[in-house]
Amino acid sequence: MSAQGTPTAQRSTILDPRTKLLVLASISTVLLTGGYDGALLVVRPILSLLPFVLLLMERKFVLAIGYASLVAFATALQYVITAYMPSFGLVTILLLLMCGFALRLAPGIATGYYMVTTTTVNELVAGLERMHIPQTIVIPLAVMFRFVPTLLEEASAIGRAVRMRGTGNNRGLSFLEYRLVPLMMCSIRIGEELSASALTRGLGAPCKRTSISTIGFHLADGVVGAICIGCLAIFALQGFGGAL
Amino acid sequence: MTKTPTFQLEDVSFSYDSTDAREGVRGISIAGAAGKVILLMGESGSGKTTITKMLNGLIPHYDEGELSGRAIVCGLDVSTTPLYEISQKVGSVFQNPRSQFFTTDTTSELAFSCENQGIEPDEIRRRISHVADQLGINSLLGRNIFSLSGGEKQRIACASASTINPQLYVLDEPSSNLDMEGICHLKNAISLWKAEGKTVVVAEHRIFYIRDLVDHAVLMREGRIVQEISGDHLREMSNEDLRSMGLRCGTLKAKARHSRFQPKALHSDETFTVEIARRSKNDTDPRALTIENVKLPRHGITALVGRNGAGKSTFSLSLSGLSRHNRARVAIDGEIITGKGLSSLSYLVMQDVNHQLFAEDALEEVLLGMKNPEKEYAYNLLGGLGLKGFEDRHPMSLSGGQKQRIAIAAALAAKRRVLIYDEPTSGLDLRHMEEVASVMKRMQREGLAQIIVTHDLELIESCCTHVVEMDKGRLGAPYPLDDKGIKRVFDFFNSQNAIAQEQRK
Repeated sequence: MSAQGTPTAQRSTILDPRTKLLVLASISTVLLTGGYDGALLVVRPILSLLPFVLLLMERKFVLAIGYASLVAFATALQYVITAYMPSFGLVTILLLLMCGFALRLAPGIATGYYMVTTTTVNELVAGLERMHIPQTIVIPLAVMFRFVPTLLEEASAIGRAVRMRGTGNNRGLSFLEYRLVPLMMCSIRIGEELSASALTRGLGAPCKRTSISTIGFHLADGVVGAICIGCLAIFALQGFGGAL
Repeated sequence: MTKTPTFQLEDVSFSYDSTDAREGVRGISIAGAAGKVILLMGESGSGKTTITKMLNGLIPHYDEGELSGRAIVCGLDVSTTPLYEISQKVGSVFQNPRSQFFTTDTTSELAFSCENQGIEPDEIRRRISHVADQLGINSLLGRNIFSLSGGEKQRIACASASTINPQLYVLDEPSSNLDMEGICHLKNAISLWKAEGKTVVVAEHRIFYIRDLVDHAVLMREGRIVQEISGDHLREMSNEDLRSMGLRCGTLKAKARHSRFQPKALHSDETFTVEIARRSKNDTDPRALTIENVKLPRHGITALVGRNGAGKSTFSLSLSGLSRHNRARVAIDGEIITGKGLSSLSYLVMQDVNHQLFAEDALEEVLLGMKNPEKEYAYNLLGGLGLKGFEDRHPMSLSGGQKQRIAIAAALAAKRRVLIYDEPTSGLDLRHMEEVASVMKRMQREGLAQIIVTHDLELIESCCTHVVEMDKGRLGAPYPLDDKGIKRVFDFFNSQNAIAQEQRK
């Protein structure tokens, strides 16, 4: 796995963490808040296509195809309904609403997943620090990032315990309670041990932190970044155009 | 010429805040020079961990309380020096391999301490290479930490303490979650540090692996030092001597079994049969197992032993009907049990028992699993396991051993016939280990079949009747723990040391 010769924290992904943050920001801003008219008719499909391309680049084929099918299906359904079912019954409205939700939310969720699964804590910290974001924001963010997989591990162990206990019990187990209470207890304990360990390793020292992560901008960052900035610019202009 | 010691505690006392139930320490004076290994021994709660925390600065900077006396570590006064400065001189390794990682991949983890100190990236890379060569962990670099075994995680923890090149290493029960192979790697790291002239302080229950390296041993009781022993003296002590001091054994040596404890070979009417098949033929996941008709003792206490990754956990999960990859079929007492039925046949006492306690008090916890809740019966069960008077306490407010016994009581209440324990004695001292052993013997009298996944030879010796070896997903035939069996299981554990030696080459 590791590079021959000197060890580096392997660049685990094609894009720089800062570019990923830009993608996440532009997709959520434009797709969530933008309308469906003018230049946005072009911007929307481009941004919706972006997570698909990113997932493909990371060889997450199953997810990429799943995402693409969802978006394609929602778009097609939307088109069919508006074109052939002009009478606005309750069912049509509900369907349209669901398509709208899917088209607005799915790209953001897919990008979020892409970000979390392809970025190591170290890269994220290095990226945020180069953006001159203060340590008081960077460290809690990094801890959250680190905590997600631990939380999942704990939750699955607790889920097993619930399944083992659950059968034969017909007194209305409140599953939420039986899962959440132990999860919270375990998280608090692990969180405490984690902070103690991090402190004995010098986290929070006032000197400038260095990093062995090899983050930096490459061609792919340029292309993706340009697309995002372009889309954001059109979105902003359109917004001003509408206001004027 | 007398050198200044690396650390010096002079009449140090510490008491935790009144909101904190933990006992502090009183009147501690110890010093440690370069190249020395200092062992802190004593029961759980005797103050060993508190001393390690005074050395790495967690006391008084993280755990709040009152510190008096003089604590000097590497020339720094612990009570006035900020933690990040102490952290440049002291490397720490903790008990739980799961919760001492800050990053998610191994290489970043090794770099983490150095990055915090602002060391140049090229220098950090050089140090990582050096440490990885020294500790033989090149094959672990660049890996996702969540995919490592407990033993591998602990090797990474040792290595990341090494990269800052500290003068003092502080290890708090580092072997608790390790198998023999992991322990062998740990010992190797400690002897390397000692040879480099570092000072190493280890708080431990399991003495056997570190005995050869110790220069000075300190016995703690109730927050005080009650005895100090030189390394040579420690090495002369027999297991019985250590035992009388409340300590675990110093050498892993098979002793002849007591005659009344000679288990017999199995007859077929005293067994139950387990068969495990993978759910899907094409499942290539390492957790997919195939086990054909293994006969296990119906009323015995069977130790399930094997290296990390041999499939022991998968076996336990499958037998409790919790595996996604496998289907188990159990023939017991003339019945055939499969699928959902397994979860009312067997019960798994998890290694982290916190995962399986949900109720608001101990009594409720036991009643939860009963088809027809009977308070009287539940009271008796808890009383029989030494939990009288704790019925209305919140399970999370109890000690680890008490929690474990509540889980066992819940299994009994639910009329489970097969009880499986996942490493029930990891991190336990002699007294608590013996308590677990006696609970198991009691459960045996209740007529339960018990399977114990364990790396703890002392536990096996003190209560098991049979042993099953597991290797690469294959289960051997169980053998009784008579004189011959005891010798065989000791040989099995010793062979793991050889594997560890091999891996470092």
